[in-house]
Amino acid sequence: MRDEFLMAYRSIKERKGRSILTVLGIAVGIAAIVSLMSVGYGMEEAITGELTKMADMISVIPGEISGHGGYVEKGGFTDRDVNDLQRIWGIKDISAMVYGAAEVEYRNKRLPIFVLGGDTKELGGFYVEPVGLKEGRWLRENDYKGCVIGDRVANDFFDEVIHVNDKLIINGDKFIVVGIFEKASTLYAADVDPHIFLTLRISQDVLQTEEIKYIMVRVYDIDEAEEIAEEIEETINDNHGLDDFANAMTMGSALEQIGTVFNIIRVVLVCIAAIALVVASIGIMNTMLMSVMERTHEIGVMKAIGAKNRDVLSLFLLETSVVSLLGGVAGCGLGWGMAILISFVVEMASGIEIAAIPKPGVFLGGIAVAMIVGVLSGFYPARKASKMSPVEAVRYG
Amino acid sequence: MIRTENLTKVYRMGEVEVQALRDVNLEIQDGEFIAIAGPSGSGKSTLLNMIGCLDKPTSGAVFIDDIDTGKLSENKLAEIRREKIGFIFQQFNLIHTLNALENVALPMFFAGVGRETRLKRAEELLAKVGLGDRVDHKPSELSGGEQQRMAIARALSNDPEIIIGDEPTGNVDTEAGNAIMDLLEGLNREGRTIIVVTHDAEIAARAGRTKRMRDGKVLD
Ligand SMILES: Nc1ncnc2c1ncn2[C@@H]1O[C@H](COP(=O)(O)OP(=O)(O)OP(=O)(O)O)[C@@H](O)[C@H]1O
Ligand SMILES: [Mg+2]
Repeated sequence: MRDEFLMAYRSIKERKGRSILTVLGIAVGIAAIVSLMSVGYGMEEAITGELTKMADMISVIPGEISGHGGYVEKGGFTDRDVNDLQRIWGIKDISAMVYGAAEVEYRNKRLPIFVLGGDTKELGGFYVEPVGLKEGRWLRENDYKGCVIGDRVANDFFDEVIHVNDKLIINGDKFIVVGIFEKASTLYAADVDPHIFLTLRISQDVLQTEEIKYIMVRVYDIDEAEEIAEEIEETINDNHGLDDFANAMTMGSALEQIGTVFNIIRVVLVCIAAIALVVASIGIMNTMLMSVMERTHEIGVMKAIGAKNRDVLSLFLLETSVVSLLGGVAGCGLGWGMAILISFVVEMASGIEIAAIPKPGVFLGGIAVAMIVGVLSGFYPARKASKMSPVEAVRYG
Repeated sequence: MIRTENLTKVYRMGEVEVQALRDVNLEIQDGEFIAIAGPSGSGKSTLLNMIGCLDKPTSGAVFIDDIDTGKLSENKLAEIRREKIGFIFQQFNLIHTLNALENVALPMFFAGVGRETRLKRAEELLAKVGLGDRVDHKPSELSGGEQQRMAIARALSNDPEIIIGDEPTGNVDTEAGNAIMDLLEGLNREGRTIIVVTHDAEIAARAGRTKRMRDGKVLD
């Protein structure tokens, strides 16, 4: 066996240019698979990962979700509703929120902007942790005149960029910008970027409302979320004397609703993999077929000096295995580099963060594809050549 | 002993049939040195390929030591090519990625001879054909005459009884051709059967017997 390896080694080494081309041909195919799959998994992770982080959440809104996804608002919650919820067992914390459009003025330009108010600690946990602040600090409960603004409010809405300590006039009251959010990732962009954040009390003042528009509840045990959600609805409905006033939705049920999205992502991933596989296989087959076919003459010579078909095949099998393995490994490296490049370019171009994820299965699969397709497509022309009579094969080339 | 019996080879290319060999009956005794001459296209190479088990006849048979080679399996034929016959081509047909030593050792590799023995014998054979100082040269680094001597060393690898040369001097100059003929004569003296095709009357004259071919037939 050692001799066969030596032969394979010699053959690959002495045909350096051709070998490198073959390895490269295989590597490019495998790189296509590895990079697309790594980015594909990153895409899946970007969506599911952030959602599962919020799995312990129950959103409570006044109104109902209608059959076709619309939402009918029915006024707001009261402080009493929030206090009553505190008595429900299994709830970790409750955060009441208010939101509404306000007229905002900065350096003589006025715009309607959405204002979001809530318990500063809760709101902070929900938005500051994942998004992060670019400048300044987060709100405190006693920030009567302080506000924190999203990225688009700071950079896009007004003619001039807003910085910390700049003054805004919101519905006629003066506020000082104490903090500015980073540009949010896809999942949070709609919630954070175009909004101004205030404390609950101040936002109620500014929006001139006593009502609470949204209650966010976190539970200790995700498995109890559905039960707790029902209890929340009952408690609030009792307070208002209506039987479908509150709508409490667990993230679990939200996840179920967008489960179809996940399925679509899965299907897309599988399609990407399938396309990459076909492209890779055709490329590998092509290079391997060529590189073995052009050695028909050599096979003829070997047979003429006494090699059995089996001898020829095992030599070529070994050689193509080595070349395929090299191609597979090189393809993994190349593909991983491409994956990182793709995620970098996507982030640069769109701001969407999709990290390439190195899955061992993807790399092993890539190497397996290289080996299987490479060896098979090398085996076929080798067998064909070995089936020829030695004269016929020697004539070749 | 080699014997052909009504040996016929027909090449079919679409509609066209070429009768390369027609009912050739030829006997070659052990230890003989026979030259085969004849015009181009007369079937000399075809005859050698049949005798050398490199191709199969359309009809008729080739007997080597009274074994009908047409009845042998692929593996058995490979074994005969490996052990009994050393074939020398006009185009040398060396493996260009291997050096002289490895080329010469290759038939022994296929015969399962151990590496040590193989390389030692290959070295001896190269010395025998006057290439003792060229063991690690690639074929492309040698002259035509030297390449052909390397091919002769390779043909001797498994110590065959029969050496077949299809215009072994066809691609080398007269001097190198003479050196090759000297080698073949020496091999004949060792008791091996030598069969060579040649266009060169002078070279044919060095053989014990010359057979002429025309239109796929061996003339008397
Ligand atoms: N593979 C083939 N396919 C078709 N025809 C062939 C094939 N090999 C040989 N022939 C034909 O068979 C005839 C005999 O060919 P062969 O090569 O035996 O001649 P030759 O005597 O060796 O000629 P040369 O002196 O030119 O080598 C020729 O007409 C040739 O064209
Ligand atoms: Mg010829």
